[in-house]
Amino acid sequence: MTYRADVLIIGAGASGGVAARHLAEHGFDVVCLEQGDWPDRSSFPGTRPDWELAIRRDWAMSPNVRNRPEDYPVVHDDSDIEPLMYNAVGGSMIIYAGTWPRMLPSDLRVRTLDGVADDWPIAYRDLVPYYNAIDRQIGVSGLAGDPAYPPHDDYPLPPLPLGVAGRRVAEGHNRLGWHWWPEPNAILSAPYDGRRPCVQRGVCTSGCAEGAKASTDLTHWPQATAAGARLITGARVSQITIGPRGLATGATWLDHAGVEHHQEADVVILAANAVGTARLLLLSADDRFCPDGLANSSGLVGRRLMMHPFSVVTGWWDDQVEGWQGHFGASITTYQFYETDADREFVRGAKWALSPVGGPLNHILPMRAGNEVWGPDHHVLMGQTFGRGASWAIFGEDLPEKYNRVELDPDRTDSHGIPAPRVTYRISDHSRRLMAFQEERATESLKASGCRETAVASMIPYSGWHLMGTARMGDNPAISVVNSRQQAHDVANLYIADASVFVTSSGVNPTCTITALALRTADLLVQNRSEQKVPA
Amino acid sequence: MTTADNSTVIDVDRLEQLADIMLPTAHGMPSASEVGAVNSYLDEVLGWRDDLRQPLFEALSALDPATFTVERLSAFLAEDENAYTALTTVVAACYYLSPVVRDRIGYPGQVAKTYDPFAYTEWVAEGLLDPVVERGPIWREAPE
Repeated sequence: MTYRADVLIIGAGASGGVAARHLAEHGFDVVCLEQGDWPDRSSFPGTRPDWELAIRRDWAMSPNVRNRPEDYPVVHDDSDIEPLMYNAVGGSMIIYAGTWPRMLPSDLRVRTLDGVADDWPIAYRDLVPYYNAIDRQIGVSGLAGDPAYPPHDDYPLPPLPLGVAGRRVAEGHNRLGWHWWPEPNAILSAPYDGRRPCVQRGVCTSGCAEGAKASTDLTHWPQATAAGARLITGARVSQITIGPRGLATGATWLDHAGVEHHQEADVVILAANAVGTARLLLLSADDRFCPDGLANSSGLVGRRLMMHPFSVVTGWWDDQVEGWQGHFGASITTYQFYETDADREFVRGAKWALSPVGGPLNHILPMRAGNEVWGPDHHVLMGQTFGRGASWAIFGEDLPEKYNRVELDPDRTDSHGIPAPRVTYRISDHSRRLMAFQEERATESLKASGCRETAVASMIPYSGWHLMGTARMGDNPAISVVNSRQQAHDVANLYIADASVFVTSSGVNPTCTITALALRTADLLVQNRSEQKVPA
Repeated sequence: MTTADNSTVIDVDRLEQLADIMLPTAHGMPSASEVGAVNSYLDEVLGWRDDLRQPLFEALSALDPATFTVERLSAFLAEDENAYTALTTVVAACYYLSPVVRDRIGYPGQVAKTYDPFAYTEWVAEGLLDPVVERGPIWREAPE
């Protein structure tokens, strides 16, 4: 007899982990299929001398560079930004920076307020209880009272250190009369829930060996499995299967050896990021019900991909600030240029986060701002910059465009022969105006903070950490893929928990909102369980 | 000489000569050969990044130390990006693994540090955030 779970979750990253824990703790029989494996913290490179070499290959953020068996290639020849991700239990949280901003009320109402894109079918108020709950689950370090946000619960832990650079830029903003605030980070500043605090090693984006940076392999999966959830790793899903009534019946998956399996379930939750989820929906086309892709009667599956154009403005002081050290999340942030200003040539704005600059190789073989210099001048450059800098990392709000999309590539496949996703993405003229303005202001910021030199790395291609929008949320099935509960309009027992459902991108790092939405979706599923349609 | 499984032989002397032009003695810093960068660390670096061996071999085949200059290196980027990247990455990695160089630039590596998580109360009490708070809310009201 085939085993059928109450809920099948595809993907064990941010949204999958949060949903699994909540559902399992509320009595659901949960199975999760994850194509990666459990991360082995002893293998993380940040404490090793080859750290800066490792992040250029085995620990690259691009699956195409990393090229591990659990990765799938992402074809991005026709994209201004390269999609980045990590496939493992914990997902891309393994390599994210850990900054933990919430969205703002205006982020969910851009059509009403600014006449662009679309409003979300939910409001900021709907997210607040889930933001608060998630902050406690993962242990956010921060300081309440930021006037850039409506008042909300205090964070469970005190803010991480400002560092020398953070302090200087904070003072610079005070001189300019500009906003700044200590950044909330999903990184522990003190022991919490059995985990150790951050040691300021500055290697967050290649895995936190201390386990201070939150990822669901630490913060949710142990609790989920203790509550009975079953997590199957090395399980690559090839298709969501559909029954005779058009409901999802489970998923077909392949193990490491390529042996095919099928997992049945009453409810399927996709949690595979906005590239992986769109890919799976397109792979699950069924001539009986959905020839153009599962849940795709609107034609919007894969479309409206948003990735946040990303620029870095780096400043260097005359003296040492240990610019290689400190949490890579961010020490301080500013929302000075976040909200729309009618005097500018664009609407919406950007959030900035102040980060370390990295070790020696990042200075001379820069992945962000700076130039390669060889010969005698190399030593001059290093003498003037190494350890003396900090970078504003700037994410601009990325408005959705139908032409930015994920499709199935006709030629490339993953190691199991499943078609790879192909990403087409263009940074819009609007985004270019927005980012140019932000880069100029960030340069002013660093000069006002005493920096001798500044450099701009504008709209870096290798920056697609934030994958959003390919299965948008909405009340109207003709122009959206899921409803406000993140339930597919076309398939009543299919939910999408990841950032595919984002209607707009906001200008903030998305993981905080991804997890809040996943918790909300799981919570509403618990509340409405008696009404849930399931296969016969 | 260092030899890979695929019999690609890296000419260490040749690499060191190139490295000394890329990283010469200047401005109080030692050259690559003065700190034994290539001789001491090449095997380690290629052990970590065996993918660099073949393009490094190609870079060494293409660049003659007798005529090599920094300007030639810049031009080489356009000719063979993979080989250029391998050469610059290996030379830089070897050089900055040297304890002498690390000490000279003040870099101890990515080390763990302790701190008082409640030290923030000092700069809050000092008033660092006061101007931000006194200006009041800057978020935008939105209709439900």
